[in-house]
Order: sequence, then C-alpha cells, then structure tokens
Amino acid sequence: METAPESWQAMTPSLAPSISARIRERVSQIETLPTIPTIFLPLLNLLNLPLDQVKVDDVVKLVSYDNTIAAQCLRMASSPLFGLAKAPESIKAAVISLGLRRVQTILLTCSVGRGFAVKEWKINPTVFWKHSLGCAMVCRRLSDKLASADGEKAYMAGLLHDIGILVNCMVFPKEFAAAMEHASREQITLEEAELRSMGFCHCDTGAALAQTWHIADDMIQAIAHHHRPEHSPAAQPLVALVHLSDLLCRVRNLGYGYYERQRVDMVHDPAWEILANEYRALHHMDLVRFTFELDEAIDEISGLVETIFGGASVAV
Amino acid sequence: MTTGAQAATAAPQARSAASIDPLYRQIRDLVYKVSGIYKTEEKLYLLAGGCERRMKQTGSKTPREYWDHLTLHPSRDGELRQLLNEITIGETCLFRSQPQLDALRKVILPEMAADKTRQILKKLRIWSAGCSTGEEAYTLAMNMLEESAGILKGWTVEVLGTDLNDRSIETANAGIYGDYALRCTSEHYKRKYFLPAEQNKLEVRPEVKKLVSFSRLNFQDDSRMLFMKSMDLIFCCNVLIYFDRASKSKVVDHFFTNLNYGGYFFLGTSESLLNLNDKFHLVHFPGAIAYWKPPLKVGKP
Repeated sequence: METAPESWQAMTPSLAPSISARIRERVSQIETLPTIPTIFLPLLNLLNLPLDQVKVDDVVKLVSYDNTIAAQCLRMASSPLFGLAKAPESIKAAVISLGLRRVQTILLTCSVGRGFAVKEWKINPTVFWKHSLGCAMVCRRLSDKLASADGEKAYMAGLLHDIGILVNCMVFPKEFAAAMEHASREQITLEEAELRSMGFCHCDTGAALAQTWHIADDMIQAIAHHHRPEHSPAAQPLVALVHLSDLLCRVRNLGYGYYERQRVDMVHDPAWEILANEYRALHHMDLVRFTFELDEAIDEISGLVETIFGGASVAV
Repeated sequence: MTTGAQAATAAPQARSAASIDPLYRQIRDLVYKVSGIYKTEEKLYLLAGGCERRMKQTGSKTPREYWDHLTLHPSRDGELRQLLNEITIGETCLFRSQPQLDALRKVILPEMAADKTRQILKKLRIWSAGCSTGEEAYTLAMNMLEESAGILKGWTVEVLGTDLNDRSIETANAGIYGDYALRCTSEHYKRKYFLPAEQNKLEVRPEVKKLVSFSRLNFQDDSRMLFMKSMDLIFCCNVLIYFDRASKSKVVDHFFTNLNYGGYFFLGTSESLLNLNDKFHLVHFPGAIAYWKPPLKVGKP
C-alpha cells in the first residue's frame, strides 16, 4: 500500500504535523483501504468526451462488465422514476432508454458506492449517499448555469467530496461516531464537531485516501478544501463550486439528517467571489430560483439512492 | 373557502408531473417572472388545477388558449391576479412554515440576543405585513412566548399585524380559528395558548393577544409606511406577488428602511424577491430563505 506523498502535508496547512502524520499512518495501515473500482477510470475517460462522441456500445460494454451494476441499470430503467412504458429487455435497450447521461450517473455512483465496503456505518448510509449524490447533481446543475464545460468533472467532485467520512467510519470509527453524535446533539456542522473532538476532519482523511488513488489533483483539492475553497492552492473555481453546492444541499434537506444551526450567506462567501471571477454568468444567476429548482430534484435523488443502494443500506 | 381550497388540492393530486401539459411549465415561468411565486414540479399540479378552474371561467378551451389570455388579452393583468388568487388560496394557517420558525428560534434569536446593541433595550419588534386574518402574527407571538423563559428572558416583544382589509383585521382581533387554520398547530400549542370557543373552534388566549396589535395599513401609503420604524423582523407572505415591479420595489425599499440593522425580512416559502433590492443580503437557513439587513460596517466595498 502506498503512503500519501509529501505534497499532502502542504495541502493541509491547518493541521499540526503530528496529526497529519497520524492520519497518514492510520490510513496507510488499514488493510481494506478502498480501491478504485475497475470500471471507474475508463468511465472517467468516457466522461471527458463530448456527449456526441460517446459510443453507445462502449457504454454497454462498461455496464456489462459488472453484473451487479448491469442489474442495477436494468432495475433503474424499469423504475417508475423514468416512466418507461415497458421494462427494457437488454442492457443496450436500457442504455438507450435511460440516455447516456443517466447511465453515466448510475455507473459512477454505483462504482463509487461499491468501492467502499464499510462494515461499521457511523452515519446512515442512505443519508450519506443522498447528500453525496445531491451535491453531485447540484454541482452539475450549477456548472450548466455557469456554462462551464466541465460539468462532468464537477459532478465527480461533488460525488467524492465527502469521501473522507467513509474513511473516518473505517479508520477512526470510535472517534468519528463521537463526533457525529456531538454534531447532531449540538446542531453544529460535522466538520466543526470533528475538528473539536478529533483535531482533524473528513477533508483531511478524504484527501489522504484520494492521494493513494492517483486521481486528478483538482479532484483531490475539492476533497481537501471544500469547506475552505480560499485555502486551496489550486483549482479554486472547482473547489468553490463544490463548496457552494454542498452548502445548498445542507440547507435544502439534503444534509446529514439532523438540523444544522446554519445561516449561509452564499453571495458573500469567499467561494462566490472565486466563482464569479471565473464565470461572469454567476452575476446574473437567480439563486432563489436555483434553490427552488433544487427542491424539485430531491425526490429524484431519493429515488436514485433507493434504486442504487436500497438493498445495501444498513440502518444505523 | 376551506372546502374550496381542499377540493382544489385533492382531485388532481394523483397526476404525475410527467402527464402535465408542458404549457403549464411555461405558465409557471410567467407567474414566477411577474409575481416571484415558484411552483416546483411536485406542486405543478396545483398550478395546473388553478389554471383549469380559470380556464372554465374565461372560456378557454385549451392551455394554449389560456396562455394567450394571460399574455395577449386586454384583461391579462387582471387574469394573472385571479390566477394568483387561485394558486395561493388556502395557504393561510397557523404554523405554516416550520423551517422559518426554526430559523427564527434556533439561529436568529440567539444571534439577536447576543447582539450588544440590542441587549441595551432588550426589545424585539416583529411585523406581520399583510397579516390577513392574523394567523402569522399569533404564531410568531406564541413562538416568542415559548422563548420567554429562555433566550428572551427579560425581553419585551411586540408583534404588529397590518392589513389593507378592515374585515380581516376584525377577524384577526377576534383570534378565533377553526380546524383548517389550525391544521399545522401541535397539541402542545393548542393546549397552552388557546381556549375553547363556540362551534368547536379555538380562541387565542389573552396573554398571546396582549403581545399582538393589529391595524389597517396600505403599503402604498408612503407617509404611514415611514412610521413603521425599528423592526427587527418583517414577515410579508404572498402579498407582494400582487404588486407590479415598480411598486414592489418601492415597498421593499420601505421594508429595508423599516428594519433595524441586523434585522431579517421573510417572504412566503416559495416566493422570491426577484433581485429587486441589492441592499439586502440573501441568506439561507435550513429549509428557509430570508433577506438580511447587514450592520453598517458589513457589506461595504
């Protein structure tokens, strides 16, 4: 197992060296460190292509690679969520009726979800995936509003931003359970509770894990700095986009299942300025309407999570 | 009114969003642009139901014909008003928006109680602007009373309710409500803050009424609007939707002036200010949106 490279130390300047060393050590020691699912990287490559260049057959091949994922795609295609008149009979038919976008969404989400064999969930898994998937969807929608070409990357960053929570469940189960309990009792943010009781948070452990995956650096920055985009040494617009999407989810019923005493002034958040400097379109965005539109997506997200993780969810 | 509103919601509920004529989404966008009311996909059937009732009244045979009526007909402004009536009818009840109340009690009140300038007077002034028959004003007063032994210990609370309509004010003063208006009120509040009244209705207790005063006010009356000073919180739900852009902007400017620094302005839960005022900061609380008047030093370039 590879240990986190030295650069990680530079990414988390707020941590005392002794703590970051401890995290690195613990993360590198676990035997069941989540690995990238096999289809994940080819899928990412596929996502980088413009939609009109994606071949249906390539997607069908990826879907067919994993039986469970293939079954989930078929189940999803025949779910009332998509209102198909007839259940598709083949994977190809399912891919065509769902549309490439949706299949990509399902594939990504399934492959990330299946990479984590979390034995002891210290957080309700359905709640966790609803938040992650919700954030991914908001990231993509916000990208669309900003006419940002990298909607798929934004989606991915949203999906992975809180991956450190799963690391915490696996590596620091006792400490994380206490932090979670503290957060919901005091109605404070999870990050704040983690920092108070453990001295580090899911951003740090998530980044440590992502480093071992060798995924793109901007993705790692989004995981490491999504609570403080202004501290990110690189890829600030992407990190800011994830930060704002995360905030929006948490104030619109896609948070961690408890009341967070939050008062969010998005337009005056440093992230807003970072994003507005990069994308002029943000100045003209109707944030209130965007918020209302997000409410509409909640049912769809719940449906997706039920379909993808329904069978696997374990109540806490 | 009660049965009408209930019937309006019951019948089309089974309809899925997918089966709704796409033209209703176009109408939804028009309604949002003009009034600031946004009906989400799941509430679209309510808008469709409202349109269908108006279509009968106006003799429009198809959604397309009704769309033309709303956009081209000489009486289009009046018709839009009628449609707004249809889609907001029955929304008035006590404890209508729990997320707003949570934001108030869990985030805003602790913030205000800790504010040094407010600690001198220990006084809180709340305005239910366009209070209709008083439900919102009493809801706010009861919530403040719940905090009177805690965070608001030693504070004076004043709730003002104003409306254009004299009959509404009369009903508000009486403070007697039936099942429909009380459908979101918990047993705890019913027992603690109401007395039995005739016809199985409940009347707001005197200690709640003592905090609240109602009066008639026209938002277009500039001189009287200027008198509504030193508010900490203003609630104005589904009232501004009937105003045109210029009048709405003027009223909102008044509200900004009426608020103390650090005060908050709440609209209805699916209502937007449509970027009419850039002095307010838009703030999100869990499940609720509000507009905040920043202290002088904050928000300056």
